[in-house]
Amino acid sequence: MNTHPNQFRDTLPPDEVILEPSGQFAADLDNLRSAVHRAAERQTAQPVSFGWLNDAKRRHNSAQRRSLLAWSLVTTCAALLCIGAALPFVHHGQPVVEQVVARNVESATASSTDDTALLEQVDTAVSESVPPSLAPLATLDDWSSTTSTNTEPTLNALEKKNVAQ
Amino acid sequence: MGHMVSTELPPLARAQSVLELADFDEVVRLYRPRIFRFLMASLSDRDVAESLTQDCFLKAYNARHQFRGESSLSTWLTRIALNLVRDHLRSRRMRFWQRTRDTALDIVDVGEWIPDGASSPEQVCLQQERVREIWKSVEQLSRQQRTVFLLRFVEEMELAEIAETTGMNTSTVKSHLYRALRIVRDRATGKSEGEK
Repeated sequence: MNTHPNQFRDTLPPDEVILEPSGQFAADLDNLRSAVHRAAERQTAQPVSFGWLNDAKRRHNSAQRRSLLAWSLVTTCAALLCIGAALPFVHHGQPVVEQVVARNVESATASSTDDTALLEQVDTAVSESVPPSLAPLATLDDWSSTTSTNTEPTLNALEKKNVAQ
Repeated sequence: MGHMVSTELPPLARAQSVLELADFDEVVRLYRPRIFRFLMASLSDRDVAESLTQDCFLKAYNARHQFRGESSLSTWLTRIALNLVRDHLRSRRMRFWQRTRDTALDIVDVGEWIPDGASSPEQVCLQQERVREIWKSVEQLSRQQRTVFLLRFVEEMELAEIAETTGMNTSTVKSHLYRALRIVRDRATGKSEGEK
């Protein structure tokens, strides 16, 4: 029963044997054909009424409507599923972003505070008065930053004075 | 089967087929019995066969402008009917929970329709029994085998016409027919597969 028809191609008997069986079997096939013809004739003996195809049209239209409805239902369900699947990500994703932003803002504020304090500390340190013992060095520093090579004799004199002291 | 008389309509020329289709009421009147018969034999259910016959002619009516007359009108309509049978069987398989075949009220018992001959009641009973056995075997064939068998032995089509209707090549049709015939004959005569 499950044999593929190709297996029979090489061994097929002549057409007459296939197309026209003989003996009792042929008579039985004739009876079968007559019975099917008679059963069908009885049903189709009456002529078709006007609008005979209307039933088929109605069935066809309702099948189309059903199919449309089924597709729209499937589409809606799929859309709802997608939204449902994406909802947890949207719900949990929002605080994470907010937390990250807040953390960044905090660290930025903290670092700017640190910088300001540092600058103030530097300013304070710079503006402090020089102790008396370091005063000549401060003068020297002033000199080195404001004078050029033509002030060199003055500098030498000052050094000599310091050495003498 | 030597006395088998072909009920095929005389061959129609291409233009004639197209013209014939123009008068659709006449087409329905001429071909409805044949299409209904084929559908009833294929599905063993008068109600479904009637519905599908309507569907077949509706499809033919809607597609009448596409008919070019390359095949006979009968072949074209039978091909539409064959597609409807395939679709119906497929959808029935999909809707397996409905068990439509088992609940169909109008299953055809072909044995009841054997014409009364001059034979005795015993012989009539015997004939009915044999026809029922053959019918049962035909119902158990695969879809393609059953289609080919019915087109040949109920609709009395030639091999080339069966090939054109089913879309198979002639040698495939012959193979299916030979195989179907062997299965039906063996079952009808009570021969098991192992005895062959």
